[in-house]
Amino acid sequence: MPDLPKKKVGIVACSGEELPEGTVTRLAALKVLEQLRPADTVTICLPLFLAGGEGDRAFARFYPTVVVDGCDKRCAARATEMYSGKPAAGVVVTDLVAECALDQPEGKRRLNEAGQRAVEVTAERVAVLVDDLLGKPAGHYSSEGAILMARQRAEMVAEAEVSQPEAQEEVVATCSCGSGIPVQKVAVDGHEVTLIALPAIFQQFHQASKQPGEETVNELLEVVKIYNAVPGEQEDAYRVALLREYAQFYEKQEVSA
Amino acid sequence: MVIVPCSGIGKTFGSVSREAAYEVTEDMRPADTELVPLSLLVLGDADAREAVSEHGAVTIDGCKLACATKMVQESGGMVAQQFTVLDTFRRHRQFKSQGIAELNEGGKRLAHALAGEIAAAVDGSCENGRGKEDA
Repeated sequence: MPDLPKKKVGIVACSGEELPEGTVTRLAALKVLEQLRPADTVTICLPLFLAGGEGDRAFARFYPTVVVDGCDKRCAARATEMYSGKPAAGVVVTDLVAECALDQPEGKRRLNEAGQRAVEVTAERVAVLVDDLLGKPAGHYSSEGAILMARQRAEMVAEAEVSQPEAQEEVVATCSCGSGIPVQKVAVDGHEVTLIALPAIFQQFHQASKQPGEETVNELLEVVKIYNAVPGEQEDAYRVALLREYAQFYEKQEVSA
Repeated sequence: MVIVPCSGIGKTFGSVSREAAYEVTEDMRPADTELVPLSLLVLGDADAREAVSEHGAVTIDGCKLACATKMVQESGGMVAQQFTVLDTFRRHRQFKSQGIAELNEGGKRLAHALAGEIAAAVDGSCENGRGKEDA
């Protein structure tokens, strides 16, 4: 079955290059992604909300998202909300530094010791937020599992990068950058709407041998509503559109099988 | 000139672009360049937008999505010159870069080579600017 990544948390770091705290956000996000919660997290580069496609802009509507900001401008939080979806939680490094009475991080390129400590503290706070969002109890994550996962991810990245430049251009799956969320445009009551995750949902239903019909379309609508806002008064129109699109998808799959 | 690097978090070439930007703005041409972070452009920060619209921007892209170049253009700025890490790598294939949080030696050398190319472009642009002023 296609794996709809609904049980992962998105991490968006401001990565502000002009401040040491921006470097702290980037390294803390990487620490969570690669070491602390590799199985539970994904990321996207902030500029992709504007420079990318609709699949990228769907990121925070698809994943509950933790934003990591360096300063009170909160670029990551505000931009994520403006262009993608409201973040589920957030951390501001300057606030955290004050709250934990840490020394001032310094060094945009190479963080000083205080900066390294800020990375640790920020990453730990983000990991706690990830656990909260996934409803996982504190301490559920075994360090051995995290280390194994981190090692596997590092090996995958190393393999992907070893044959540069072609691998750099083509290998996306091993990179944590870019959401790759599938979207599909559908005509609903004469209006074109973009439905997040629809191709993956259709694939999942087909592989579960669900044939187009009234019962299936009701199930489809419920799954679609997990990722998309469906106005209550338009549910019937969405059912019609989903049934039509799924029937076409199903037929195509059967023909190619 | 304004230098706008990719703010990539998941690829080595993103780190190379950032390191090259730091090298130009802090070490090589600190008097002639200023680093503008993409996050501020994404947010539509007035100062950042003004910086890229009043001065020519040198963009450094880490991958084919070209976020830095696209964001400068979206912000009403002028891209004076676009650099991509991949192009520099093609000229310096011996510098095999690895690492994201910490670049390996190959990555640092690639960033240094890229920074040199950017510094040369900055020099050329500054000379043109001075030439126009003199004329």
